[in-house]
Amino acid sequence: MKLNGFRKKSPWILHYNTGSCNGCDVEILACLGPKYDLERFGILNRGNPKQSDILLVTGPVTKRTRDRLIRLYMEMPEPKVVVAIGACACSGGVFRGMYNVGNGVNNFIPVDVYVPGCAARPESIIDGVVKALEILEKKKKDMELPHRCKELKRESSRRKLLAECTRRYHEGR
Amino acid sequence: MGKKITIPFGSQHVALPEPIRFVFQTENEKIVDVDVDVGYVHRGIEKACMTKFKYMQVGYVVARVCGLCAISHTLAYVTAVERLMGIEVPKRALYLRILVSELDRIHSHLLAMGHLAEVAGYENLFMHTFRDRELVMELQELVTGNRIQFDYACIGGVNRDLTPEVEKELREKLKTLKEKVLWLKDVYENDYSIKYRWKGVGVITKEMAKELNVVGPPARASGLATDVRNEFDYLPFKEVGYRMVVRDEGDVYARNMVRAEETVNSIEMLFNVLDGMPEGDIKVNVKGLPEGESFVRIEAPRGELFYYVRGNKKMVLERLRIRVPTFANIPVMRELFVGMEYADVPAVVISFDPCLSCTAR
Ligand code: SF4
Repeated sequence: MKLNGFRKKSPWILHYNTGSCNGCDVEILACLGPKYDLERFGILNRGNPKQSDILLVTGPVTKRTRDRLIRLYMEMPEPKVVVAIGACACSGGVFRGMYNVGNGVNNFIPVDVYVPGCAARPESIIDGVVKALEILEKKKKDMELPHRCKELKRESSRRKLLAECTRRYHEGR
Repeated sequence: MGKKITIPFGSQHVALPEPIRFVFQTENEKIVDVDVDVGYVHRGIEKACMTKFKYMQVGYVVARVCGLCAISHTLAYVTAVERLMGIEVPKRALYLRILVSELDRIHSHLLAMGHLAEVAGYENLFMHTFRDRELVMELQELVTGNRIQFDYACIGGVNRDLTPEVEKELREKLKTLKEKVLWLKDVYENDYSIKYRWKGVGVITKEMAKELNVVGPPARASGLATDVRNEFDYLPFKEVGYRMVVRDEGDVYARNMVRAEETVNSIEMLFNVLDGMPEGDIKVNVKGLPEGESFVRIEAPRGELFYYVRGNKKMVLERLRIRVPTFANIPVMRELFVGMEYADVPAVVISFDPCLSCTAR
């Protein structure tokens, strides 16, 4: 319970560049700077995927960053939100159809928020991240449902079935 | 003799906004070998420019090679095509191009300085630098309509004129900017702890710079007087009071100071541009198709940028070759790392202000 409270108050972001032109990355840096000040939402930019809640992705996914992107996504703990920033990350942008790119982040990992623009303006990036915070809240609620218990029950019944089968087998039927 | 330890730095790292990977072999905190991998962001722009896009559109595509020096790339391509087709560009357009390219240089240099401060642990200085950088971004938005990725130059001129109201506001804001930049320069120059952190770290000697062909601020910081603005007249820089900044220490501190002084010089140039702005058209009509070959050198914020264009009377170019400043600086980076303390690596990497999007294209 406590952890969820912290998560709401201080979400950490992880920023990965999958082949963008640096335009959108610089705008993210500007967001963390004093004029736009994303940190007032309690957001901190840290490089560690194991401690992050929000993944900001910029750029069309190139062949070599693809594996890293998927790995970073897998390493982040649940609940997590992915924000695609800029025309490139949304659909491939001007790089759409070039031989080394994969046209948009949603071809590889699920994306929750799309921020348009080339380069995406800091205002719209902030809007996107605030939207991501709402989604994070919702996902957290979903997490509290008792997935675990259901699965345990199913497992126990399967075990019963298995035992039944073995018993019958030994009985020679 | 210590044990050899392999330390990977990147491709995803806090100090790096872009994916680049160094693999360091260290021995007692000293680096004995290093392996550099820069190809993560390769998108295939050159190929696309030769197959997918028409020559009129390529200027807008090459701007997307790098968001920080977008105007330099467009300018280089546009100048190359203009020379190929023998187009006479109006003087007013040339002045407007200087205006935008110097604004771009200021914002890029301030970003580099702020980033260097952050990596060295001076969070407060980083914030100050970024607050002042926002002023430049506002100016860019006023002049061109977008903060980053403004498609300003086009073949035959520029896309947007400067109105008198914008000019007035530009002058006022430039005055504030100049005060702020002078203050920042003072801090970077005289702060006691910064001097201790950066002086004598990552020294490039003049001979090394000459031999390994260093370009841009790192070259000028180690006493090599090379600047394309001085050597190749793609824009009338000499008319607006350009002066070259050269220092001879060659360490991280000197590289930072070269950037700071260039920023001040750029602001002075901007005032001169506004004062001497000629009247007239901003664009001429372009007819015909490019035929033949030409090359152009341009001083991007990070150093010399080289473009080679070849056309054969078709809508699509036959060959486009881009050679970027960071590519020229990678050999010296590698040379520098061997024998250095591992703790200095982030500062030295960032002091080169590497741009991997340019390098891998
Ligand atoms: S959307 Fe535009 S500014 Fe952003 S990474 Fe793509 S090309 Fe660069």
